[in-house]
Amino acid sequence: MNLQMNMDLMEKLNILSAAAKYDVACTSSGVDRKGGGKGIGNAIAPGICHTFSADGRCVSLLKILFTNECIFNCAYCLNNRDSDVKRAAFTPDEICMITMEFYRRNYIEGLFLSSGIMVSPDYTMDLIYQTIWKLRTVHHFHGYIHVKSIPGADPVLVEKTGFLADRMSINLELPTSESLRRLAPCKSRSTILKPMRQIQNRITDNKQELTVYHKAPRFVPAGQSTQMIIGATPENDFQIMSVAEGLYQKFYLKRVFYSAFVNVNGNSLLPALPGGPPLLREHRLYQADWLLRYYHFQVSELLSEDRPDFNIFLDPKCDWALRHLEYFPVEINQASYQTLLRVPGIGYKSAERIVKARKRNSLTFEDLKKMGVVLKRALYFITCSGKMMYRTKLEEDYICQNLMRDKTQIPRDIREGGYRQLSFFDKELHADFQLTDSQILSP
Amino acid sequence: MYIFLCEDTLDGIFTGVYDAWASRYGHNNVALTTQVLDNYSLFDEYIPVQTDYEKSAKVARTLKKRMGEEVYGELCHAASAQEEDPPKKHSLNKADAIYKTIVLALSLPDSSKVLQYLGEPYVNRVFSLSRRTGNEAHHLLGFLRFQELENGILFAKISPKHHVLPFLGEHFSDRLPQENFMIYDETHHLAVLHPKGKGFFITDTQDLDSEMLQRFSSKEQEYQKLWCSFFENIAIEARKNPKLQNQNLPKRFQKNIVEFR
Repeated sequence: MNLQMNMDLMEKLNILSAAAKYDVACTSSGVDRKGGGKGIGNAIAPGICHTFSADGRCVSLLKILFTNECIFNCAYCLNNRDSDVKRAAFTPDEICMITMEFYRRNYIEGLFLSSGIMVSPDYTMDLIYQTIWKLRTVHHFHGYIHVKSIPGADPVLVEKTGFLADRMSINLELPTSESLRRLAPCKSRSTILKPMRQIQNRITDNKQELTVYHKAPRFVPAGQSTQMIIGATPENDFQIMSVAEGLYQKFYLKRVFYSAFVNVNGNSLLPALPGGPPLLREHRLYQADWLLRYYHFQVSELLSEDRPDFNIFLDPKCDWALRHLEYFPVEINQASYQTLLRVPGIGYKSAERIVKARKRNSLTFEDLKKMGVVLKRALYFITCSGKMMYRTKLEEDYICQNLMRDKTQIPRDIREGGYRQLSFFDKELHADFQLTDSQILSP
Repeated sequence: MYIFLCEDTLDGIFTGVYDAWASRYGHNNVALTTQVLDNYSLFDEYIPVQTDYEKSAKVARTLKKRMGEEVYGELCHAASAQEEDPPKKHSLNKADAIYKTIVLALSLPDSSKVLQYLGEPYVNRVFSLSRRTGNEAHHLLGFLRFQELENGILFAKISPKHHVLPFLGEHFSDRLPQENFMIYDETHHLAVLHPKGKGFFITDTQDLDSEMLQRFSSKEQEYQKLWCSFFENIAIEARKNPKLQNQNLPKRFQKNIVEFR
């Protein structure tokens, strides 16, 4: 253990923020809380981004580790016990002070506290608990707090922490238990899923308590989230999305985050990725994730055993529409909300606007444009009062060619990187995994 | 056509709405504008509107009662928007769009649903203006940066396109009730002042002591440094993407943000 004492605050912050950066979630959404005139802080449901770091990701919370000291040896992690990195640990007071001073200056929306595992899971979880207890009760901080639950920590500690935090998360890390066993031998499906289930049940109970007594203390009001690493192990998109769907349906998660794998410590168990992290694949997974959460899609509609990976050239919704031309064209002034949701170029907000606006006037393509519909994608699939926008053919090849001319199909940053991710979709990477429901989700 | 010329402020527009309504010329025969006109047309009559806070308050009260807080909020956002200069062809002036939207709303059985009728051009105009102001205000909730002055006051400078100051004042008064703070809007030469434990107010800034605003507290530099180094460290080198960064955080905000200076 080369934990250094008396390190100055700047150095600690450098080490412990750099060590926290591979956690994806930095959202501050899901809870509305007024300031109430005392103390400091409030929260608004959509969340607030305070800045964007050089990689273009939103920074909303002060994302730090309590310590990067760790007794686990997860192969993908920079802080595992075998890696030779400088170690540091905050004290609860230091974290409180930085959080309060940053929050006053409006640098941050709150705190995201995670940690390596020092001494034991219970010991670490207790330090985290003490820190946010101090923030909430000594400093009267009412801003947003996201806490990582430590796998293997005492359920009592998890529960106590949950009454102080807004969101809790436990990283699933890898999509299958097989991969977890191989790369993170100190963690197991049960140490991850048990607390996840515990938090879920407690949230459900808490909702009932709140209906009876609306001033009852709130437990994890912004819900829980998790994160999976993409591209470190050979699972295909179908397996990953099935796991995500299971988590949404069976664990009521608010969000599942996907993190394109970055090989930080050159471990031989892991792929080398000379082309950089699989960003395009990550992008497609997020698109599909939105289809699950906001567009009533099911994974089985998007992917199957025979087509286990997303089309890299088209977004999942366009790809689905092209394979189901029998549903199109859709008449804007009559189609149901559910039908509108399935049209490429119509988002869930514009679908809602359309359904409401057409009660008074029948809508034209010009109106749709003003409402935020992306016509260059939608025009192949819709009619307004029986007419299409241009003379087009309802043919898979024809539409596909036209859609692919649309450069936004592949985000600019990835496109300009020169399709370097393509190698990632090579078939040999996908070993044969049979994924059964029990294997994914039994705690 | 009778054209009411109102001041380009929330109260100015609401007074215009009041006067136009009270004039009894008929909704189809009146129009409102906030523009300063160079050319007057021969067959229209122009009526200057004297901003009157009482009339404006009456309008606000009616709107809140009939349409609900949410729609009222959207109308305020629209009224605070900065319109295109010079105006785009065929684009409705915001005062007129707001007036016609209110007329439509009050004719509906449920006025709170008025903003759903986006097929109406003036409702659409209100919607898009409101979204512009709302988006900028939301951005600034995050992008605004306070600096601690020598006397303990938190000071922030912003340069917004739209008149977002009231929305920021409300948000930060709720968030930082125990702080003395000031938000200075460079574009409109206005400032929000919030004394500790009290409500905020907006004032013009002719006699702003710019010298006082340069004297920071002894700790200020230290926290700025801590924040900047956190900001450097949190980025993942392998995913570096300055274009995405600038797209998400437009350059016009960056000049007032400590970590970009």
